[in-house]
Amino acid sequence: MGYAWAAGATVAATLVALGLDAYFHVVNVALVYLLAVVLVALRWPRGPVITVAVLNVAAFNYFFVPPRGTFHVDDPQYLLTFAMMLGVGLIVSGLTERVRARARAQAALEIEAETERIRSALLASISHDLRTPLAVITGAASTLAERGERLSAEERAALAQSVFHQARDVSELVTKVLQMTRLETGAIRLEQDWGSLPEIAGAVLRRLKPRLAEHLMMVDLPDELPLVRVDASLIEQVLGNLLENAARHTPPRTLIRLKAQNQGTHLVVAVEDFGPGLPEGDLERIFDKFRHRNAGGVGLGLAICRAIVLLHGGRIWAERLPGVGTAFRFSLPLETPPAMPAEALAGDVK
Amino acid sequence: MTHATILLVEDEPEIRQFLCSSLGAEGYRVVESPNGRRGTLDAGMHKPDLAIVDLGLPDFDGVEVIRRIREWSPMPILVLSARIQERSKIEALDAGADDYVTKPFGVGELLARVRVALRHAAQPPSGKELFLGDARINFERRQAERNGTPVHLTPTEFRLLACLAKHLGMVVTHRQLLTEVWGPTHAGDTHYLRVYLKQLREKFEADPVQPKHLLTETGVGYRLVADD
Repeated sequence: MGYAWAAGATVAATLVALGLDAYFHVVNVALVYLLAVVLVALRWPRGPVITVAVLNVAAFNYFFVPPRGTFHVDDPQYLLTFAMMLGVGLIVSGLTERVRARARAQAALEIEAETERIRSALLASISHDLRTPLAVITGAASTLAERGERLSAEERAALAQSVFHQARDVSELVTKVLQMTRLETGAIRLEQDWGSLPEIAGAVLRRLKPRLAEHLMMVDLPDELPLVRVDASLIEQVLGNLLENAARHTPPRTLIRLKAQNQGTHLVVAVEDFGPGLPEGDLERIFDKFRHRNAGGVGLGLAICRAIVLLHGGRIWAERLPGVGTAFRFSLPLETPPAMPAEALAGDVK
Repeated sequence: MTHATILLVEDEPEIRQFLCSSLGAEGYRVVESPNGRRGTLDAGMHKPDLAIVDLGLPDFDGVEVIRRIREWSPMPILVLSARIQERSKIEALDAGADDYVTKPFGVGELLARVRVALRHAAQPPSGKELFLGDARINFERRQAERNGTPVHLTPTEFRLLACLAKHLGMVVTHRQLLTEVWGPTHAGDTHYLRVYLKQLREKFEADPVQPKHLLTETGVGYRLVADD
């Protein structure tokens, strides 16, 4: 490509020079060729630059240096013109190459800095969220180990409980971090199978029962929902994260509603809460890692949800509910339902 | 049954230690094995009443330990698995393990599983009758009723319920259910289960979405629990 440009530059310079020839001295005509070399050198590496310099010298020699129409040179001073043209070309080419290299290095540095920024945000965030519970665990456990006999049975039980709860939180955080890493590095392979959303929801509600105990949970699923081809364990995590999120960000006794709707090509699942609502700001960015960081969460939950839903070919989004509250919705593509066993088809059931 | 012997195959000494003290406090005698080879030998030597096998053993896979024990013994086997080992957990259950507990677990959960499994081994369900809340199912006469009203069950629904009842309180994998009820050619037809479990829940659960008896073990299978 650069060589084609080199040839083109020589042809263009020659045409311009032939036009100027009638009015200007031949030395000034040589400057047109020099300009062509500089222009090529600004854009292309050394090879094309040498090519254009040589071609220009040949063209200049042939068309303008007496005796014209030959490659023979009468006056040795034109040799200097040739040398200058080549020299200028190489210097400009060298300079631009260096500038370009520096720009590339700069860009690489910036990417590295951005990666580093994300990594340290992750580390800061995780270490903060680990440090507090670990401090509690260390404190409570050492109290039990060293001074246990001086405490009442209730005090010992309370300390043991707090070790248990904090350790469970730490373990959940570590699981989330690992999960996010596995999702980001593509280490997770979807194990898709026919699943029932009400069934997955039932399992999540049972698992989260203690955490949702202070809220008013309302399950509003239609009787006839089509089966979906999903990795049920992952979709369970999405639902779980959304429900936990709703419970964490709304005061006790707030209504949380789980809904689903068959929209023909997609199944849309929603977790709505009637809490204080999301703060002003971009509704898309709350799915970014660490954007949503507050009480008890690193802000990984929603990022994990988004990664899982995207893997399934669906979409996840948040909406401010009119009046008050927030809805998190995600869609899952519906496929042609699978063939059912004969008994079900025969209408023997129900 | 309080003096039952439990074989614990687990490589982490710290985990062995807390399991030993909690199981010991319940009156169980515990035999500890730090790896798969030792565990397989101890299973033959001590003839325990139940085995708890960790899936992440250093020498060979916990699934292999289960296979070797199953070659000669029907003793109940519980699996300890990390969340990341979803696949090997199902493999272990299909290889003959009876139930699982996911790490990290509260000891109450493990003890409950141990009790169910030991009770089950000592007194296998008769397979004749099943009580689910306000419902009664008689498998011999193929009759079911709820609050005194007869409930119609199809032959397949009876077979499915009987299969779950045979493992009352314990998890049964999709593969096990499909193979037993529909035959090995349908071992991968999970959607059959989704449809039939929905029907069974509509017949026996007060709230089919939040069942108390026919529980879902997401990604693994189902568990039938008789008492609330």
